[in-house]
Amino acid sequence: MNSVAIAKRARKVSVTFLEHNARPQVPVAGAAFYQWVAPDGSLWTLFYRQGRDYLLRFPGLADFEVSADGCQVAAWAAPGGTSATVQHLYLNQVLPLALSRQGKLVLHASAVELADRAVAFIGESGRGKSTLAASFATGGVPFLTDDGLHLEWAGDELTVHPSHPSIRLWADSQEALVRVGAAAAPALDFTTKTRLLASPALPFCDQARPLGRVYFLGDGLARSATIERAKPAVTLINLIRNSFLLDITQQEMLAHHFEHISRIANLPIHYHLDYPRRYEDLALVREAIIRHSASGEAK
Amino acid sequence: MNLSDTVVIPPEVMARQVGDETVILDLASGNYFGLDPVGARIWQLISEGKTLADTCEVLLGEYEVAREDLERDLIRLVQELQSRGLVNRG
Repeated sequence: MNSVAIAKRARKVSVTFLEHNARPQVPVAGAAFYQWVAPDGSLWTLFYRQGRDYLLRFPGLADFEVSADGCQVAAWAAPGGTSATVQHLYLNQVLPLALSRQGKLVLHASAVELADRAVAFIGESGRGKSTLAASFATGGVPFLTDDGLHLEWAGDELTVHPSHPSIRLWADSQEALVRVGAAAAPALDFTTKTRLLASPALPFCDQARPLGRVYFLGDGLARSATIERAKPAVTLINLIRNSFLLDITQQEMLAHHFEHISRIANLPIHYHLDYPRRYEDLALVREAIIRHSASGEAK
Repeated sequence: MNLSDTVVIPPEVMARQVGDETVILDLASGNYFGLDPVGARIWQLISEGKTLADTCEVLLGEYEVAREDLERDLIRLVQELQSRGLVNRG
């Protein structure tokens, strides 16, 4: 049995994570109240209630029990599963959900540090969040997260708290962007993505930064990097779609989440960003983002 | 629903103005609804407790629209909100 206490830097909350030995995924009494479906249509995650707590099941991979207050997570790999898979699922999927139970706002977003501010990239899986963050990082711009963007208000300023110092990339992105021999976490059972660890060649910002810009990533049909102001209502729905929330049936938590997101949506910092998904164009995309994020007035 | 009616907003319905639009959340269902700027203005007026007739009068002073068109569209919108459980007849 391994135990890893994860204390988040610059935060007053923590999540205690306990990994147990592997165990069978026995049938759960009662139906799942929610589920995530993978792009190929297979069941990715099943959400169950266990009293006031939660069981998150990744079929064939791992089970996670999350306490009602989101402060404790226990994990069991499925038979044949690996600790690396458990750790990966915890960091990328379960921890953001646990934080949501603490009333924290976590988005599916990557972020980099530009001029002492965080610039975030939001989009569904496959839109290029991690590739964009890696592109900046290999160019010397520190990243704060490649997914799981934790936002908190500090007075009237919205701050981004750094996540795990690693970026997950598909093989083609890794080959295009990263130097051979970069430090990586152990391979996983269910994905060919590699988790590359922060290093001098892949710098990481480990301090909270005020949020300066949010870019919602388009579908790659633009012929060149295009940036347009996002309307607040569209921003709100996009933020909701790309946020982690463990239990939407808990009305008090849902109301708090809506309040939080609405306040963020009214900030004049949100834009749509689209660009052709070609590695050779990323330098121009980075330049466009750097110029735009440095501009004063929201356009 | 007719113009002399007022509506009440159930306690499980939240609305927030974002820009010039309004987004409504039904906490009971977890569903979200959007209102364009005119709908947002109507929502603001009806949530103040105005009758639909009074709401019409305010809007006639703010928009160039024929009274009968406005009354028809207002009733239609409120009926749709009611069908989705976002308002109840007062």
